[in-house]
Amino acid sequence: MELLRSLTIGQYVPRASPVHRLDPRTKILATTLLLVVVFLARDFRGLGLFGVFVAGVVALSQVPAGFVLRGLRPVWFLLLLTLVLQVFFGGGSGGTVLWKLGPLVATREGLVQGLFVTARLVLLVVSTSLLTYTTSPVELADGMERLLAPFRRVGVPAHELAMMMTIALRFIPTLVEETEKIMKAQMARGANLDTGGPLRRARALVPILVPLFVSAFRRAEELALAMEARGYRGGEGRTRMKQLRYRGQDTVAGVVVVLASLLVLWVGRT
Amino acid sequence: MVCEGLVHVYLRGTPFESVALRGVDLAVRRGECLGLVGPTGSGKSTLVQHFNGLLRPTEGRVVVDGVEVRPGSPAVRDVRRKVGLLFQYPEHQLFEATVFDDVAFGPRNLGLDPEEVAERVRESLGWVGLDPDRFGPRSPFSLSGGEMRRVAIAGVLAMRPQVLVLDEPTAGLDPAGRREILGRIRELHRKARLTVVLISHSMDDVARLCQRVVVLHQGRVFLDAPVREAFAQADRLRSIGLDVPRATDVLLRLRAAGLPVRCDRLTVEEACEEIVRVLQGGQGWSSSGA
Repeated sequence: MELLRSLTIGQYVPRASPVHRLDPRTKILATTLLLVVVFLARDFRGLGLFGVFVAGVVALSQVPAGFVLRGLRPVWFLLLLTLVLQVFFGGGSGGTVLWKLGPLVATREGLVQGLFVTARLVLLVVSTSLLTYTTSPVELADGMERLLAPFRRVGVPAHELAMMMTIALRFIPTLVEETEKIMKAQMARGANLDTGGPLRRARALVPILVPLFVSAFRRAEELALAMEARGYRGGEGRTRMKQLRYRGQDTVAGVVVVLASLLVLWVGRT
Repeated sequence: MVCEGLVHVYLRGTPFESVALRGVDLAVRRGECLGLVGPTGSGKSTLVQHFNGLLRPTEGRVVVDGVEVRPGSPAVRDVRRKVGLLFQYPEHQLFEATVFDDVAFGPRNLGLDPEEVAERVRESLGWVGLDPDRFGPRSPFSLSGGEMRRVAIAGVLAMRPQVLVLDEPTAGLDPAGRREILGRIRELHRKARLTVVLISHSMDDVARLCQRVVVLHQGRVFLDAPVREAFAQADRLRSIGLDVPRATDVLLRLRAAGLPVRCDRLTVEEACEEIVRVLQGGQGWSSSGA
């Protein structure tokens, strides 16, 4: 049960930090820029500097560091796999041989390459999850909607996309809770969820998935009804209570992120 | 069944940490019917999930029939068979194509042979008052809310538990559905000699069914007493947002108005008798008080 609860990716941590107070658009754009930068950084110096910057933002955001690291748990297998693959195949042929097992050759270059790619992935996950830790789903969707608004002319349904995202994010915890409850109920009837071969395990999911889908559809219907009852008819002419507004702090944050990015790229030049 | 110093903390070590139980000591005796009441968020549902090892105590321990319950240990399968737990809105857990198959889910998980499974399904549906021949082949999703809930109860009964734990079994049902379910629970307690733990927000239901009441408040046992004693403490119960059965409430008001009735009567029938007794025996009140 605790497994489901440890899913921290995409969870908002309410705090009153300067990072939380930024306009969501600033944070979305900054995160996008950082994503590009983390892939452009070509050596450890660049990544190191990037790491220092991200660590600084984490400290400033008041999100507990342990919590941020825990967000890596769901992807640890991916990280490990990347590292292992890179160690054996990333160095290309003709590197310094460290260790040999039949056709598998671990090279020094491969090890370095593996560590580099893994570090890059870790920073990627941490910096993107920082966005969702510090921005509530509603703000996030709002920011997305406003950023996508100019593209409405070429047929991008900005409002509908944002609404879909808000609803999806809103219901993740609900569905997780529901899943947990159904799992417990079936376990109380002697269901065995974690033993047996793959086929048995897949079959054991039926008693969980069927009630989950039934309840998801029921919820969807209820939500649609509740939205219509309150006069929702799509984005046309819809006003909002909290207007997004750029402020001085957004300019400062933007400048800092751009400077940090340039610095990372400059350190890694050659 | 015994809980000792039970503490449960949800999401320990995260910003969402919350303490649900802060040291609960509780013993459930064989064959009794225990009412578990408390305001919303007092830890009732969390507590009962420890009874069959669905939750791991953060501190303290739970012992069922002399065996300590630890999630993950082989003894847990045994405990889950002994302690049948019915969650809130249990009809949301139905999934099979027919009522028969859904009730059979538990016995089949026990690895019983088909005849034994069929026998248990018929027996359990009988306990909840659904005709196995008529309801067995129907889809559970075509039933009414009350019927679905009875199918879900049958699904737990088919495990042949010794203890039945019900988390608000009458929530969201109409009065007829409530009476039906409560009657079935009483029958299971009296005739099948099941130990029953009933979580409820209805003090009337608790007063009718249970012999003992445990009140939880903010994760602690606030009160643990036989029903009559418990509901005699109306002020204490009201101080944490609970109430007494309606019949007791009427008696308390009469007493406050000067009628010398005893207030440890819990059901409408008992209250009627008491009022009649006082009015017939205590003529002095109506003449002097007028």
